[in-house]
This record gives sequence, structure tokens and C-alpha cells, in this order.
Amino acid sequence: MELKINGKNFQVDVEDQMPLLWVLRDELNMTGTKYGCGVAACGACTCLIDGLATRTCTLAVSSVVGKEIITIEGIADDGQLSAVQKAWIQHQVPQCGYCQSGQIIAAESLLDEKPQPTDEDIDLAMTNICRCGTYQRVRDAIHTAAQWRHEENSLLG
Amino acid sequence: MINQDSNKKKRSKAAKWGRRAFIGVGGLAGIGLLVGIGGTVYVNKKIRKYSGAGMGDGDSLNAWIRIAPDNTITLAVPRAEMGQGIYTSIPQMIAEELEVDMSTIQVIHPQPEAPYSNTYILSQKAPNAFKGYSIMEKIYAVLPIVATGGSTSIVDGFNNMRYAGATAREALRMAAADRWNTDLSSCKAEKGYIINTVDDEKLSYGQLAEAAAEITIKELPELKQKSDWSIIGTPVQRLDIPDKVTGLAEFGIDVRPENMLYAVMRHPSTIGGNINGVINQAEIEERTGIEKVVLTKYGAAVIANNTWRAKNAALALKLDEDSAGNENISTASIATQMDEVLDQAALATPEQHGDVEAIFDREENAVIEARYDVPYLAHATMEPLNCTVLVNDGRAEVWVGHQASSIVQTSIKESTGISKANIKVNSTILGGGFGRKAEPDYVRKAGAIAKQMPGIPIQTVFTREEDMRNDMYRPAAVSRFRAVVSAEGDIEAWENKMALQSVSHSSMSRIMPAMAVSPANDLATTEGAVHLPYIMKNRQVSFGQVDLPIQVGYWRSVGSSQNAFFTESFLDECAFAAGQDPYLFRKNKLNDHPRYKAVLEKVAAMSNWGAQDNKFRGIALHKSFGSIVGQVAEISRVGEKQFSIDKYYNVIDCGMYINPDTVEAQMEGGIVFGLSAALYGEITWDEGEVQEYNFPQYDMVRMNVSPKIENHIMENEHYPGGVGEPGTPPAAPALTNALFAATGERIRRLPIVKQGWSFA
Repeated sequence: MELKINGKNFQVDVEDQMPLLWVLRDELNMTGTKYGCGVAACGACTCLIDGLATRTCTLAVSSVVGKEIITIEGIADDGQLSAVQKAWIQHQVPQCGYCQSGQIIAAESLLDEKPQPTDEDIDLAMTNICRCGTYQRVRDAIHTAAQWRHEENSLLG
Repeated sequence: MINQDSNKKKRSKAAKWGRRAFIGVGGLAGIGLLVGIGGTVYVNKKIRKYSGAGMGDGDSLNAWIRIAPDNTITLAVPRAEMGQGIYTSIPQMIAEELEVDMSTIQVIHPQPEAPYSNTYILSQKAPNAFKGYSIMEKIYAVLPIVATGGSTSIVDGFNNMRYAGATAREALRMAAADRWNTDLSSCKAEKGYIINTVDDEKLSYGQLAEAAAEITIKELPELKQKSDWSIIGTPVQRLDIPDKVTGLAEFGIDVRPENMLYAVMRHPSTIGGNINGVINQAEIEERTGIEKVVLTKYGAAVIANNTWRAKNAALALKLDEDSAGNENISTASIATQMDEVLDQAALATPEQHGDVEAIFDREENAVIEARYDVPYLAHATMEPLNCTVLVNDGRAEVWVGHQASSIVQTSIKESTGISKANIKVNSTILGGGFGRKAEPDYVRKAGAIAKQMPGIPIQTVFTREEDMRNDMYRPAAVSRFRAVVSAEGDIEAWENKMALQSVSHSSMSRIMPAMAVSPANDLATTEGAVHLPYIMKNRQVSFGQVDLPIQVGYWRSVGSSQNAFFTESFLDECAFAAGQDPYLFRKNKLNDHPRYKAVLEKVAAMSNWGAQDNKFRGIALHKSFGSIVGQVAEISRVGEKQFSIDKYYNVIDCGMYINPDTVEAQMEGGIVFGLSAALYGEITWDEGEVQEYNFPQYDMVRMNVSPKIENHIMENEHYPGGVGEPGTPPAAPALTNALFAATGERIRRLPIVKQGWSFA
């Protein structure tokens, strides 16, 4: 099978049903995407599939052939952190950090869809579990990232 | 005669220790820099053998500090980074005295060796480098206890880490004075340089480190006053966060040593049960990617070239199991057992003042009675338990996120038979700890599995289901209260009788059996239920031990996790029985404790307590791990028994603090952790088996329910208290007291959502 991950092509020889999470982690050693529950309940394994935040622990690898897969390792652009990543640092969001790959990907997806999300939009979109309880900072960082993205776009436009 | 001989032997050993300490201070001082830790003195020659200092480029000034020629500073931080920010706050303490920028610092995690011991965690005494040579410290020299827990890292390190920095700085100044042949007083340490204040020359620490490592410090220097701090007490950005936003941070589950294979376990289905054999081993071993099925005394495991393949194969194992006679244990049978214990005479009465019975016996007194209970809880760290082990030729290498590297070493020794000197521990960051990752079980199991495939690193991963079903749970607990409150609102009598399993007995029996306390002496059982700050004329707190084969363990805030809910709820009941405002009721009883009172007054003021608006408020005050926390939960009604948890106001007095932003983060996290338990957390048993096994059955607070949190840290110069745990205990009673204020319904049992309430 050929997979397109973070703009590069990878050949993998695995069962069709193997979840993308385990292809990334154990076949390709891309360990930024995390295993949390295995039943799509916690969001630690979230990646962007054709731009949409998707839980990959129950997503058969055969179903993403030909799709654009972006993992946390592919969010920064050539070493340049995204607005979301920068906001995460600005607000000192992570504690243990284990869920944050998934949180960041979910936030990227939300902001792509809704550039200026309300608190209610954030409540609906951000359903990932953070056992350390960083939710307030995640929320604040999303608002900051939205602002920074808006400013960047204004400069470009 | 035998006794005399052994006494003689003891004396001579003690004399030897004393002499060694003396030589350390006096005789050998000529050959190296001294850093005292709790009176144990390490000279430079000895220090260089410690892993935190001895590896890599540059010169080691002591066991914590290495300086490279390019002026990068490598610090050995022997405490586990599990999200609390310790990889930043310990460096802040060292950097403050060493006079270096935080941006020049790198952190490594050393091996479990004597200088890195956590003295406070068992002795409950903060080490002071000037005093004493305690028995505990002698034990540590032989048996280091390098552990992170009990919110002790700052409490333990506050003096020693600053001395580590200060003594190294002094050696660097002396080296510069020597180089310039000038007076020490004209050598000023500043941002990684020694500056000659006479002629403005300067030398970098990197240029001076080699010479400084040979210098003697005969006296420990004076430490800076709080008013002179520029790094301690400031919100320095955490050193570990950049890698946590790019996916580069390496947790235990992320290590990928060459040729590594993955193992997934199957534990016995019943508490305390056994797996005696694998029925379909050959069939499973034929599956794609499966290397081997192994049976250990802890359970069966499948070793494969991919975690998913190992997991599926492990699920397909047909096992020969027995339930060890525990197949009748259920949540209902446990509750019955707890009530039986409550009806028996207490096992221990850790607090007794006056005569509560005499007050209860007076006919004119109205006795307020209530029974509170909470269930078992899982830790559910985001990173499921895992440990990677390579056993090879009498040596072992381990990669693991664990709260205690010394326990890792002991556990691998136990399950592989390899001596500690031949076990290398690579400590990774942890995806959550909360007390679960202080336990030896997952390391022992990984060792036993890896031993069966020598030469190949094996990463043993617990699936979420195995993790949750094989936890060392926060025990279920019951408190039965009686109180008498006078018409003026004075507490005439307060009685609290508890029943639960002993955490310390259960956990220490696994970790260090030799040091396991008996249930009757377990202070963790009643921590937070005794020595309440409120004036109470007569009081009695006692408990009974519930004997069950369930393994219970340290869970963020331990005894306080239930006892704050019990005591602060029942206190609220007393306030309402007396017809008094719950804030004023508490405040009036705090005249002996100004720090508590100040916290309570502050949180009341912040939360606009008493405001007539559409919000309902509940208040709670609790001290744990050396810090006092006051919280007000502010809620609003959405529907019948439906509420929005809008906001928490949180005030902490933790004495002097290192990093205010991480203190606030711990308060935020502690509240959410406490709320998850209060709203949803419950582990139940049926026919001896745990019924909850993943997040759909054991849910957590998520973004939509999580409140806003406003923090305040009290400013003073008291010795630091802990901050990792104290945010958790008041969260539940603040909420249930608010729900009472809104509805008049008193919640005496957790979790709340199972009693018909809902939150949005």
C-alpha cells in the first residue's frame, strides 16, 4: 500500500484492517500520534485526513490510501511552527503533553473550518480528553491562534 | 554476648560513617568541590561517578551541574516529569544561585543514585544542607529512593538545589579569582560569566569549569533572599513544552530501540486470580507477525512485531484461569463489608480531643448525622502503562516513564535476577502519573516478559482495557459523621468514623515490603480528615480497615481525595443546620489559623460571595501536602438537576513558590481531575471482575463541561508546600455545596451524574 503522509509517499506492507495509528507508530516509527484508548473515545490519535480531524485508532489503513494524511510531525512548515503550535507555547498549554498532538490537530481542523470560533464552537469541536485538565488553556490558545491566523491572512491579503 | 557483639558492630559502623563524613568535610576537601546534601558530603572525585554529572562533554561541578566549554549548562533533574513542570522548576532553583540564563540549560535524567534521593518523601522532613547526618540519609547512600510523588519535589529540593547552584557558582568565582590573581570580592557571577568588577574583564563559565571542578568549598554559601530572586518566583516558560507541540517529545511508549518487538499482556480476569496456562499457544504463534506467546507469573503475553497484532492475538488467547476464590466479590458485597466494619470497634483513633460521646448523650442536643461514600477510582493516565526492557548477557536496559527510577531498578532486579549495578534506567517523560506510575507492577511484568526473549528489546504495552482493569485503585471509602452544633454555631462535638482499605499498606507492600506500615498506622487513610483547622470543642476521628484482595494505591491527593469531600460537605451541613452562611460559619472557626483564614477570605472576595445574582456558589477549604487551598464553585441552572459549572475561583497558599504559572497550571489540572472523579468516576466489580475498562465506561471531564478557573497565589515567605495534588481535594465539595445552595439537595455520594444530575 502507498500512503501519502506529510507530503511524502510511504510504502507499507500490512493488513488492510490495521488502524492507521499503528501503521504510523509501529511500521513507520512516527510516534507523535498517540495511542490512548483504541476505541476512538479520547482523541489522542487524531490526524488530519484530507484536512479533517480524524481518530486513527479505529481507521483502517486501506481506507486512507490516496488521501492526504497529516500527522503532528507535519503541522510545522519546514521548522516554522503553525499559529496553533505557537499559541500552545504562548499559553503554556501542555502539562504531560500526551494528548496534545491530538488536541493541536483538532484545533487546526476547527480553525480551518471556522476561522473565528466561538466558545460554543470550541466546546463542540474539541472533544479530546486531557487527563491533566488543560482545557482552559486549550480554549485560550485556540482564540489566540485564530487571532494570529487572521492577522497573517490580513497581511498576506 | 551475641547482642553485645552486634551492638559493637553497629557502633563501629556508625563511627565509620561519622568518620567518613568528617573526612569529607575536612580531609578530602582539598581535592574537590563539596556539595552537602542533607549532611551527606560528596567530594568531587566521588561525584564524577554519578551519572548526572559524569557523562558527556564538559566538567561536572557536582552531581547536578555540568558545564560545557561553549557555556551550555546540563542539569541532572532526578524527578519524573509527568506534566507538573519539574524539568523547569528544579532548573529554576539551580539557575537562580548559579547565575545562568534558563535559555542555556539542558536537562538530563540521571540514574537512581544516592545524591538524587528524595529525602522528604519518606522522612517528611525537608533536608537542610547544614544540619545532621540522619539515619535516613545513610540508608539512601546504600539504597537510594529516587522518587517523585506526594507533591514533594520542591519541598525536598528547595534548599539543596539552591545549594547545588550556589556552591558551583562560588567555585567558578574562586577559579576566576585565581586566574586573574585578584580578590574574590571583585569576581561577580552574572548570566554565565564571572566578571572582574575592577577592570571589566570576563570569563565564561565554560572557560572556568575545568579549574572550578578542582576547587574546595569549605563552607556552604549564603542563599539569596526572596527579594533578590530573578528566576525563582517568575513564570519562566517550560523547557519541555516546545517538543510537546511538535510531536517530538519522547514518552516511554515512543522509544524505538533497534530490533524492538511489542508485547501485549492478558491479566487474570478476576481480582487476585491466576492464569495457569495458554490453551491455544501454537495456533496464536502461527499468526502474522507473532513471535512468541509467553506465560509469566503475572499473566500471559503475546510478543509481536506490531502492537496491534500483539493486541489482537492477546485477545484471542484461550486461557486456563482460576479466580482464587474471589469470584463472589461485587460492589454490593464490598458496601456490605464496609458497613460491617463501621459497626465494629475502630481499628485506630488518630484524633481524639475531649469527649464526643458525652455531648451526643445529652438529651437536649440535636445530633446531626450523615453517611458519605465514594467509589473506587482508576488513575487512567493518558499514556497507558508501558515499559521497554532489553535483557542481555547478565545486563538489562530499561526505557520507561516511571515516578521512581529506584523502583524501576529494584523491579527489574526482582523479575530478571540481574543485579542493580547492571541495570541501566533510561527515564522518559510520563504521559501522566498521578501515583499510578510509582507502582512496580508494570516494570516487573515487562522484565519477566523480556527475560524470555533475551537480546531483543521488548516494549510491553497495557491496552487501555488492561490498564484500567489492573489498576491500583483509589479505595472506596465511607465516612459516618455525627455532630452537635450550638445555637450560636459552635461545633460542640464532631465525630467521623471511616471504613476503607489502607493505601499505604497495600502500596508499600508492593513497593518496599520491609517498609510497609500496618493498616492501623496508615496516616494516608485519615489525611485531610484529622487536624482540621476549625475550632471544634470535642472531636474524634477513627477508622476501620476493610480487608479485600483489591490492590489499592496512591491516587492524586490520596486520602484527601475523599476526605475533603467528606469533611467539607458535612461542615456545610453543620452550617445550614445552624442557619449560618457556610463561608462565615467556617471563617468564625479559623481564629487559630490565620493562613487558612486569609485563603478563605481571599477566595470569598474573589468569587463575590453572597452576591444576589443568578449564580449559585459553594465553598471548600482544605490543606494537603503542605499547602492550603480555598475554592468556590460557581454554577448556573440549565434545567431541573441540570447545571453549568461556570467557574472555579482558586486560592492557594503554598508558601514560597518557584514558578507561578506552573502552580496555576497544577491548580487548573487538579480541579479538573477532582471534577472528573466527582462527576463520573467509579470502578465497580461484579463476580470478581472490574466492569469499567475504557473511557466510554469511565468518562472524563471534557472541554464542554470544564469550568473557567481564576487563580490567586498568596504571597509570603513560608517554606514551600506542594502544588501537584492540593488543587484536587476541594473541587468535589465546592461543587456539591453549590448544588446544595441551588437545590437544597445534599449530595453524599460520588459520582454525581449517576444520581440523575447532568452538566453542560
